[in-house]
Amino acid sequence: MSDLVHLTIDGKPIEAPAGTLLIDAVRKYGIEIPAFCYYEGLALQAACRMCLVEVEKMPKLQTACTLPVAEGMVVRTETPVVADARKAMLELVLTNHPLDCPVCDKGGECELQDMTFRYGAGEGRFNETKQHIDEKQWSPVVFFDRPRCILCYRCVRICNEGMGVAALGIANRAVTSEIIPNEADHLNCDECGMCIDVCPVGALTSGPYRYKTRPWEMDHIATICAHCADGCKTTLGVRNNSIIRANNRDHSGLNGDFLCVKGRFAFDYGASQERLQTPLARVDGKLEPISWTRALKTIAAKFGEVRQRGGAFGVIGSNHTTNEENYYLQKFARQGLGTNNIDHHRTGDVITLIDALAGKGGQLATVEDIYNAPAVVVLGCDLSHQHPMLAYQLRANVRHHQAQIYPITPGPVREDNQATRSLRVDKGGEVEALGSLAAELKQAGGVVILYGDPVKGDAVRKLVDFGESLGVPVKYVALVDYSNSRGAIEMGLTPELLPGMTPSNTGGMRIGQMLASTDLDVLWVVGANPLKNRAALAGKPFLVVQDLFRTETAEQADIVLPAGSAYEKNGTVTNVCGQVQMLKKGIGAMGTKTDLDIFALLAKEMKLDLGPATPDALLAEIRTTVKGYDVVLAVLATGGAAMTGVNGPVAIDVPVDAIHSANDTMYTSGSISRYSKALTSLMEYPGELYSGKSK
Amino acid sequence: MASKISDFLGSAAAVATGMGVTFKEMMSPTVTEDYPDVPPSFQERYRGTHVLQRDENGLEKCVACFLCAANCPSNCIYIEAAENTDQTRISGGERYASVYNIDYSRCIFCGYCVEACPTDAITHGHEFEQASYDTSTLIYRKERLLTASAAGSAAPAEMKRAS
Ligand code: SF4
Ligand code: SF4
Ligand code: SF4
Ligand code: SF4
Ligand code: SF4
Ligand code: FES
Repeated sequence: MSDLVHLTIDGKPIEAPAGTLLIDAVRKYGIEIPAFCYYEGLALQAACRMCLVEVEKMPKLQTACTLPVAEGMVVRTETPVVADARKAMLELVLTNHPLDCPVCDKGGECELQDMTFRYGAGEGRFNETKQHIDEKQWSPVVFFDRPRCILCYRCVRICNEGMGVAALGIANRAVTSEIIPNEADHLNCDECGMCIDVCPVGALTSGPYRYKTRPWEMDHIATICAHCADGCKTTLGVRNNSIIRANNRDHSGLNGDFLCVKGRFAFDYGASQERLQTPLARVDGKLEPISWTRALKTIAAKFGEVRQRGGAFGVIGSNHTTNEENYYLQKFARQGLGTNNIDHHRTGDVITLIDALAGKGGQLATVEDIYNAPAVVVLGCDLSHQHPMLAYQLRANVRHHQAQIYPITPGPVREDNQATRSLRVDKGGEVEALGSLAAELKQAGGVVILYGDPVKGDAVRKLVDFGESLGVPVKYVALVDYSNSRGAIEMGLTPELLPGMTPSNTGGMRIGQMLASTDLDVLWVVGANPLKNRAALAGKPFLVVQDLFRTETAEQADIVLPAGSAYEKNGTVTNVCGQVQMLKKGIGAMGTKTDLDIFALLAKEMKLDLGPATPDALLAEIRTTVKGYDVVLAVLATGGAAMTGVNGPVAIDVPVDAIHSANDTMYTSGSISRYSKALTSLMEYPGELYSGKSK
Repeated sequence: MASKISDFLGSAAAVATGMGVTFKEMMSPTVTEDYPDVPPSFQERYRGTHVLQRDENGLEKCVACFLCAANCPSNCIYIEAAENTDQTRISGGERYASVYNIDYSRCIFCGYCVEACPTDAITHGHEFEQASYDTSTLIYRKERLLTASAAGSAAPAEMKRAS
């Protein structure tokens, strides 16, 4: 508390930690100092002069965005002198600014519009003809309109500092200054759209959103990104039951302002022409449309018959369905069908980590920990590609707290640019190589270790032993691929474990065994595509597939049911760090049903009593019965992330051979990305891991 | 007796006053309009069914800024925006209204939409015959609201001055 300084602002006494910038210090007290160039977390620019304030004993107006608070300072933010200065600055900014508001995409949420409304002159005095420069398309998703640009350089800084891409630069001087892309007339970059997001005006606009609507015409629905495991919060802009844009409008959630290209633009996969809109059944070897009633009746009859005669079932669950759906599916399989043959595509070794950390507690890192840790080690993962949000937080950690980072990977990664030391090792040699960093990590005083799929089984135990030997606080993240990979494990979608990582002690087939088995009578695949890189099933089971598209697996099915996407349902998902967040239904899709509704209808048709099947009721059940999931409902309901407390020991043999990441890049997303026009239209698609690109 | 005479005189005076008004009105010009036999006349600023205007090149003036819809107190304007391309140019700006509906079962003819429009694209015309037995016919689409020809020719007089 000793380093709090006290100052007076607009007559109000306030306090703030020493070193805080004035513009940040006052925000907590409900005072907003206008700013164009200042952007929290980025380097200071002091280019726009909108933040001028009066400070007693200082002869001239000061820029609040560069002025640290000082003891006894007396500041006035709204005086006639200040208002006059802002008016003058605006007049300059507007010298060559077009009167585009009626057509400009930013209209209605434009910082320049707001400021002009508040401080601007009714009329400009510069009557010279405005210079027109045609709008440029830099990529399918990024457009640039030079005359609207107010040269605040936020875009340049976010791309350089925030993304580590540095695709944007400045050409020329003074009035001819211009923001330019890295490849003369186009961008070759992450296509994350962060530059569009931070642009205070309508100079940078989004391809998919351009000229479609107005901010106030949309419903804004906060949910969680459907793609990777990081769990970014996103606000869907919905109009007429279609998603028009996604951005994290209020900068809340684990990601703050961040979204990667998938979160920002790849919401369009659900609207693909190839989306299934009716159930299909195999007739004379071909898939033909049938009604929901007939499809459900046929499946229920088949399931009932096979169960009756004691036949064998196989169930493959999804990395994308909600915790509630996963929980209900395993209940359906275990209680309803009487089988323990249930699995999903495992993308990282979480189980061994939980077991190795048994009885320790508090050693699973959260996203916040990655932003705050003095040292971060990344093992066997191209973080910027595979976990864009964690990589963003890591870069912020380096900028704000000078964290030491150590990528130990098979090839070059973006993290090398900021690394204290990078080690190149063959897959599987990561933990071995870690030994040489012991002294440095000890010195740092606290470490977060992120590990990808090459580190599994015994290697995880060795890793934890190494961490323990450091004698400083160490936290871990087992990196997994998809939006609910973590939830799939913890809700019991493996033969070894019941929900809450309780060993099941009953044998059961894993995916590989199910696909290779000739004894299965029924194979039920929910939101997964296990036949993507396989020719066909070994046996001839009755194959039921629930999916959005006719995937390779669906093509071989006997019955295909069209399912709802993550943007079309309520429920919860658990991110890579084990933090639970709530999905909120944004839209509905014609002809489809959510996976949970499908399960419930099937259960009803089969006269199974599996308890209530609504997201709310199941969440209540999960919170009371699943170990580690007694999360606070209020946190979830208000859009927060609640850390789970799943704890070891987990006394099972982890089948390490079943664990392999899909190695998605930042432009791909399992079987989904090929249905996203936004992604497939990018010249960078599909991208390559460890390519050393985007240095 | 006296009261009967005064009654008679009183009535005669009243009739005379009444007839006086009648004769006076017979002499002065008629204000009653013979609608529907003769088309009615309007004050210039009468607020009737809206007209979407075109500019001097025949392009639509509406750029789909949604300000009319935002300003409308009865929430009866519905717009969908789309982008002009070099091949299809509908309006003068970057965007145009691919759909523009006004729901006349809700419109209160307040004129706020006209006030809000930055390009003078939406105006009030003088058409007023909207009665219908079927309210579903009261949603007028852009095709119906749009003036047929280039600027001026079909616009009401006061709008000619403004544009
Ligand atoms: S950037 Fe803002 S002020 Fe400029 S035209 Fe667009 S909405 Fe208007
Ligand atoms: S899209 Fe992202 S990576 Fe590309 S220029 Fe903009 S901020 Fe940089
Ligand atoms: S494009 Fe936008 S963010 Fe970039 S300098 Fe111009 S106004 Fe600022
Ligand atoms: S980092 Fe992951 S969760 Fe976040 S927006 Fe990208 S794909 Fe979605
Ligand atoms: S006249 Fe008034 S009620 Fe009618 S469309 Fe215009 S703003 Fe809406
Ligand atoms: S915000 Fe302070 S100078 Fe721009």
